[in-house]
Amino acid sequence: MKVDFWGHEFEVNMWIGCLGGFLIAIMSSMFGFGGGPFMVPLMTVALGLPMYIVVGSSLLAIFFNTAMGTVRHMQFGNFDLLLFLAMFPAALLGGYFGPQIAKRLSPVVVKRVACVGLVLLGLKLLGLY
Amino acid sequence: MKVKFSVLPLLALVMMALPIIPQALAQETAPAPTITLDKTSLANGGEITVSGQAPAGAQVYVEVYAADKKVRANRFDGKKDPKTGKIPYKFYLTHEMPAFYKIFVPKDMQPELDTAKAAGGGWKYSEVLKKTGADAAYSEPAKIKIDSYQATIMASILGSRGKLLDAMDEKATKSESMKLVKGRFRSVNNLLGANVETTPEGVYTAKMKLRSGLAPGKYNVIVTAVTARAMDGDKETVKKVKSEVASFENKQTFPTVYLGNAGTSINLIWPFLLTLAISIFGVLMGAGGGFILNPILVSIFPALPHTIVAGTVMPTVLFSQGSGIYNYSKIKFINWKLGIGVGCAMLVGGFIGPKLTELITLDQFKFAFGWILLVLAGLMYWQTTPGYLEKNKKEQAILKEFKKRAEEAAAKGNS
Repeated sequence: MKVDFWGHEFEVNMWIGCLGGFLIAIMSSMFGFGGGPFMVPLMTVALGLPMYIVVGSSLLAIFFNTAMGTVRHMQFGNFDLLLFLAMFPAALLGGYFGPQIAKRLSPVVVKRVACVGLVLLGLKLLGLY
Repeated sequence: MKVKFSVLPLLALVMMALPIIPQALAQETAPAPTITLDKTSLANGGEITVSGQAPAGAQVYVEVYAADKKVRANRFDGKKDPKTGKIPYKFYLTHEMPAFYKIFVPKDMQPELDTAKAAGGGWKYSEVLKKTGADAAYSEPAKIKIDSYQATIMASILGSRGKLLDAMDEKATKSESMKLVKGRFRSVNNLLGANVETTPEGVYTAKMKLRSGLAPGKYNVIVTAVTARAMDGDKETVKKVKSEVASFENKQTFPTVYLGNAGTSINLIWPFLLTLAISIFGVLMGAGGGFILNPILVSIFPALPHTIVAGTVMPTVLFSQGSGIYNYSKIKFINWKLGIGVGCAMLVGGFIGPKLTELITLDQFKFAFGWILLVLAGLMYWQTTPGYLEKNKKEQAILKEFKKRAEEAAAKGNS
């Protein structure tokens, strides 16, 4: 499939894109997270697209998954309104303050810290310590 | 004529009842235990003592359950049956599980509970009930209504629970209810406690500790005294007497609230602060916080079912994604063809995923999530390697340039 973006044309292999998106969607809706950190590498590495086309478009693709996942989780009675009401305003506040803090920090350092945190959390879930 | 006809069935009834009466009399020989609670209410958990008089020499069990708060419990049976060698693929679901359930057993049975604890997550509730004799007291969950479904792979893909099977008989319900109870409350400590003390005269006392964060509302307490056990071949006959139901109230005040779907109470301030911290961190990392928020929530609130966590975090990120899309679309920074194309595939995936959440246990959830996080950590690390950074620098420069152009174009369009 050919994609036009700001005067540039890109050839996209939709088979890989759809299959990858499908698998990421199953995983992320099953475990209840967005899927952005997997979607962006899929589009940049597997599809070979530049960053500037990926940021917005991957968000749009993920939105479909999140919306569907939300509806399905509600159908299965997995949604708790009170817990949602506690977390939702916090997420909005975080989205507001986050970018302001981000300006003052080096992204490389943040990612390295996140990396260590993720490994620790992952090992904890696997019951290794 | 009329009188004669009405007498006949009555006579038949009396004759039918005759053989039953002596049996009923024999069971009533031991007097029912008395029951007293030292408090009528607790404030979000605490200690409550139950005491009374049971027949001398009897084993005393105390069954406690939340009387008016029910929760959902489900189990997917995907294990091979050792007898038939077939995988049953059955899905069991109930909405009537008490939000709290615990049996207190005599103090000298502590070693049995310790053995079960040593077995870790794989301990068998029904076995421990039998070994401690607590199956004689196990009654409330045995009455719940359990729906069973014949799941198929195809049905799971389509997102249905499968075909609803005929209702199970009493015995099957009881046995399945034990598995559901164990799946719901998980640990030995949650389900059993060995702290009933009995004097040789049959005076019993049990100090029951309820942790904070349990369901509010009415709790019922029933005492079962087992006076005799006799083995008849494989079958055990148990002579027991039950006390009347005593009740107490578990009270809670804001911000601790009861989450009906989750079946547990929680102080709302904690998830609020946690979400705030994680979503800020998520923005810094350039990703949503869902994949950190979920595992932390299931780790620090073990009473929250993973299905609820996954199902509630998802809508939380929905809105921030929506506002992100709106902001990008204002500066025409979204390729709709690409986004919708891949989005359609993700729509199908999102339809299937939540179904699978129900099918796995918390331990499987944690295991899989652990690996996901390790992969993610790998991706994060890769994004800090010099090669990636070099490439990213160029990309970011182009991104900035395009953003500027996009904003200018949008401004022009508006004026």
